[in-house]
Amino acid sequence: MHKTVSGRSEAVLPLLALRGIGKSFGAFEALRDIDVSFNAHQVHCLLGENGAGKSTLCNLVFGIHQPTAGTMELEGRAYRPAGPRDALAGGIAMVHQHFSLVNELPVTDNLLLGRRFGRIDRRAEGKRLQELASRYGLDIVPDALVGDLSVGQRQRVEIAKCLMSNPRVLILDEPTAVLLPDEISALLGVCRQVAASGCAVVMVTHKLAEIERVADRVTVLRRGRIAAYSDTPAADINRLVAAMIQRPQASGDAAIGARAIAARKPAVPFRPKQEAMQIDGVSIVDRLGIKRLDDITLTVGRGEIVGIAGVEGNGQSELGAMIGGLLRPTSGRWFASDQDLTHASPRRITAAGVGVVPEDRHAVAAISKLSLADNLYLNRMSRFTRFGLIDRGAQRRQAQDAMTKFDVRAPGPLVAFGSLSGGNQQKAVLGRELTTPGLKVLLAAQPTRGLDIGAIEAVYGLIRDAAEAGVGVLLISSELDELISVADRILVFYRGRIVGEHVARPENSHSIGALMSGQTA
Amino acid sequence: MNATAKSTLIPRFQTYLPILLPIVAVAAALVVGMAVVVAMGVPLGQALSAFWRGAFGNAYAVSASINRAVVLALVGIGFIIASRAGLTNVGGEGQIAVGGIVATALCLMPGMQAMPVGLSFILPLAGATLAGGVWGGIAGLLRVRVGTNEVIATLLLSFIAVWLLYWSVQSENMLRQPMTSAATLPESLPIPATTQVPLLTGSYSSPVTLGLPLLVVVAVVAAVMLRRSLYGFALGAVGLNPVAASRAGVSVGLTLVSSLVIAGALGGLAGGLMLQGEQYSLKAGFSSGYGFDGLVVGLLARGSVTGVIAGALLFGFLRSGGISMEMAAGVPSALVNVLQGLIVLMIASAAYYLDRSSSR
Repeated sequence: MHKTVSGRSEAVLPLLALRGIGKSFGAFEALRDIDVSFNAHQVHCLLGENGAGKSTLCNLVFGIHQPTAGTMELEGRAYRPAGPRDALAGGIAMVHQHFSLVNELPVTDNLLLGRRFGRIDRRAEGKRLQELASRYGLDIVPDALVGDLSVGQRQRVEIAKCLMSNPRVLILDEPTAVLLPDEISALLGVCRQVAASGCAVVMVTHKLAEIERVADRVTVLRRGRIAAYSDTPAADINRLVAAMIQRPQASGDAAIGARAIAARKPAVPFRPKQEAMQIDGVSIVDRLGIKRLDDITLTVGRGEIVGIAGVEGNGQSELGAMIGGLLRPTSGRWFASDQDLTHASPRRITAAGVGVVPEDRHAVAAISKLSLADNLYLNRMSRFTRFGLIDRGAQRRQAQDAMTKFDVRAPGPLVAFGSLSGGNQQKAVLGRELTTPGLKVLLAAQPTRGLDIGAIEAVYGLIRDAAEAGVGVLLISSELDELISVADRILVFYRGRIVGEHVARPENSHSIGALMSGQTA
Repeated sequence: MNATAKSTLIPRFQTYLPILLPIVAVAAALVVGMAVVVAMGVPLGQALSAFWRGAFGNAYAVSASINRAVVLALVGIGFIIASRAGLTNVGGEGQIAVGGIVATALCLMPGMQAMPVGLSFILPLAGATLAGGVWGGIAGLLRVRVGTNEVIATLLLSFIAVWLLYWSVQSENMLRQPMTSAATLPESLPIPATTQVPLLTGSYSSPVTLGLPLLVVVAVVAAVMLRRSLYGFALGAVGLNPVAASRAGVSVGLTLVSSLVIAGALGGLAGGLMLQGEQYSLKAGFSSGYGFDGLVVGLLARGSVTGVIAGALLFGFLRSGGISMEMAAGVPSALVNVLQGLIVLMIASAAYYLDRSSSR
C-alpha cells in the first residue's frame, strides 16, 4: 500500500524527503509511516478528506509541530525544525489557511513584517515586489491597504511574502478553499510558475479538478496514512478518488457507528408525504462580497433524513448558521412547519419547532463554563421558574433524568459542561434540541465530529429515532460514509450550490465523491 | 451560579482561596502601609490611633464610614451586574455626577419640598436613579449599535458628566445659588430639609441615612437576581458566550444595554444619596473619586455581592481613617490610595495566577 518515492528512478533530486514520519497528539495518532519526498520543479498535491492529516503533515514540515517518529532530510541533510524560524532558515515557506497579514498596513509594509534588522527602504522593497510579481504573474497593488483587498488578493500578498525569502519549498495549505473560480485559475498558474523556477511546491487540496490542472504528483492521505500515490495524476484520478473517500471494511472504523444505523433505514427509498421544511432560492453574500450560498432550494419531508454532503467550506456552515438564526439570507426565503422563518430570531425559530445542533459545539451550541444542567436547558430555563425564580432543585432532577435518557455520562448534572468528553457534550446538545417542544425539524451539522465510534452510533441512533417519530432531519456532514449510512437522500454542495442529488446508497458513493470534488456529472 | 457550577473534584483548599485571597492581600497591604508610615518618621502608635479614631472612634466617625461604604457598594454592585454580562463599567463617577445634578434640580424644584408621604425625598432619588440609568444606557446603546467599546464610552461619558456638573454649579441659569456678592461660592442652594434622605437615628451626631437599609434591599435583590432569576442567567450566558446565548434565544443587545442601565442607575442612586443624605448642596468637587473606588470594589469582589459589601466597608473605613490620620498625625491621606492600589495589584495578580494554575 505504501509506495515510497525513493526507490523510483527519478531525474530530479528530492529536495525534501520524509521517512517514516509519525505524529501523535496524546493517544490520537494523526500521522503514521509517512514516506514521501518533494522534488524541485514539481507541484506535489496532498489529497485527502478532513482530518486525514494533511495539515498536520504541513505543520511538521514547517516546524510548527515536531514529529514523534521518523526523520526528514532537506537537500540531503538531516532536517529537524524546532519552529517555523528553522523552517524559514532552511528555505521552507508556508502559506497558511488563515492569513498572517496586518489589515491596517499597506502591502509593502506587510512584506517587511517579521524582518528584524536593517533599514526600511520602501522604494527598494516595492521594486523587488514588482519584479517578483511580474516573474510569477502575481497581480498585486503594492500601495493598497491589505484591509481593502479581496481574499484572493490577500492570498497573493501572502504568497509574495513567502517568495521574497527565495524559498526552496513552498507549502500551500488549502489555498483554494477561499477563492473564486477565476482566482483559482490564477493561483494554479502561479504555482506552476513557482515550480518552474526550481521550487518544490506542496499544495494541500481536496479538489480533483485542481489536481488535474496543476499536479505533477499526488499523494493521498487517509486517516493519517498514505493511501495512494500517483506520478500521473490526470490518468489516475478515479483511483485517487476511491482512495480518498473509501474506507477499509475492516474493524476499527468510525463509520461502523453509522453503519449500525443503516440497517434501520427503509429498504425502498423513502417518500415523505408532508413537508417539514422548505428552503426557497436562498443566497448569502458575505462581507467580502463572496457568494457563500447560491440559490439553494431544497425541501425536507417529515420523517426524512436529508444529507448535505460536501467538502467543508462550500456553504454548509452558512446554511447551518442561517437555520440557527445567526445569519440572514441575502435573498430567498425559508420555511419550517408553514412559518416563514427567513428573518426570525433564534427564539422564534426554536418556538417554531426547529431544533439545531450547530457544527461548532464550543462556540455556538453550549457554554462550556456553565454546568451541564444549565446547558441541557439553555434555551428553556423558564420552565423551572416559580415566582420568577429558577428552581435549581427541579432543574437538577430533570437534568438527571435527561442524562439517563440520552446517556450523557458525567459525575453529575452540576459539573462544568466543558469538562465532559466530546461525545457526552454532543449527546447533551442533541438531547436538548430533540426535546424542543413541538419538534418538527432538526438540523444536525457535523454532529459526529471528534466523536468515538460508540458516541457516533448513539448520536445517529437518536437522529434516526427522531426521523421515525416524524421529524424532518437535515444532516450536514463531511463524512460521506456516515451520510450514506444514515440519510435517505443526499444533496451535494459545491461552491455554495447544490450540484447534485443522489439516493443515499453505497453504490452512489463514487458519483457523490466526484460531485464533492467539483467534477460535473 | 459560580458556586453551583464548581466541580466537586476541586480540592478543598482551592474552594477557600477566593475568600482567603483578599484577606491576605488586605493584610499585606496594611503591613506595607504601616512600614511607609514608620519610614516617614511618624510614630506608628500615633498614626494608628488617629486612623482608629477617624474610622471607628465615635458614632459620627462610624456613620460617615458607613455612608461612604453605601455609596461604594451601590457602584460596586452595578459594576458586577454589568461585568456578569461581560461589560466593564468604568463610568461610575459620571453616573454619580448626573445623579447628583438631577437630584439637586428636583430637590430645588418649586413644590418638591411640600410633597407628601416622603415623596419629597423619594422623587429626587428616583430621578437620580433614572438619570444614572440613562447615562449608563447611552454607553450600552453605543456598544450594541455601533460597537464602541463600553470602557471608552463609559469613561468619556464620565468626563462629560463631570463637566456638566461644573457647568451646573457655575451658571446661575443652571443650579448655582443667586450671586449676592463676589464671595458667593460656585455651588447650589442647600436643598430643603424635607428633601433630605432621613437619618436612621434622627440625630446628626450619628448620621447613618436610609441609604443603608436601601443598600441592603438592593444587595439582596441583586444577589437573588444574579443567582436565581432568568435575567441573571441570561446575563451570565451573554457574558460567557454571546453567540451561544443568542442561539438559545437570549436577546444579546437588550441584555447588554439593560445591564449597563442597571449599573448606571445604581451609580445615579449613589449620587442622589450622596447629595440628599450627606452634602445637601451641589459643589464642584461633588464626587471626588467615589465612582472609581466603587469600580475597584466591584473588581475585587470578583462577581460576588457579598464581596462587594465587604470591599465597600473596607474601603469606606479606610477612607475615613486616612482622612483622620492626615489631620491628626500628618500622614498624607494619599497613603490610602497607595494601599488601595496595593490591594488591587495583589488581588489581581494572585487571581491571574490562580486562573492560570486552575486552567492547566
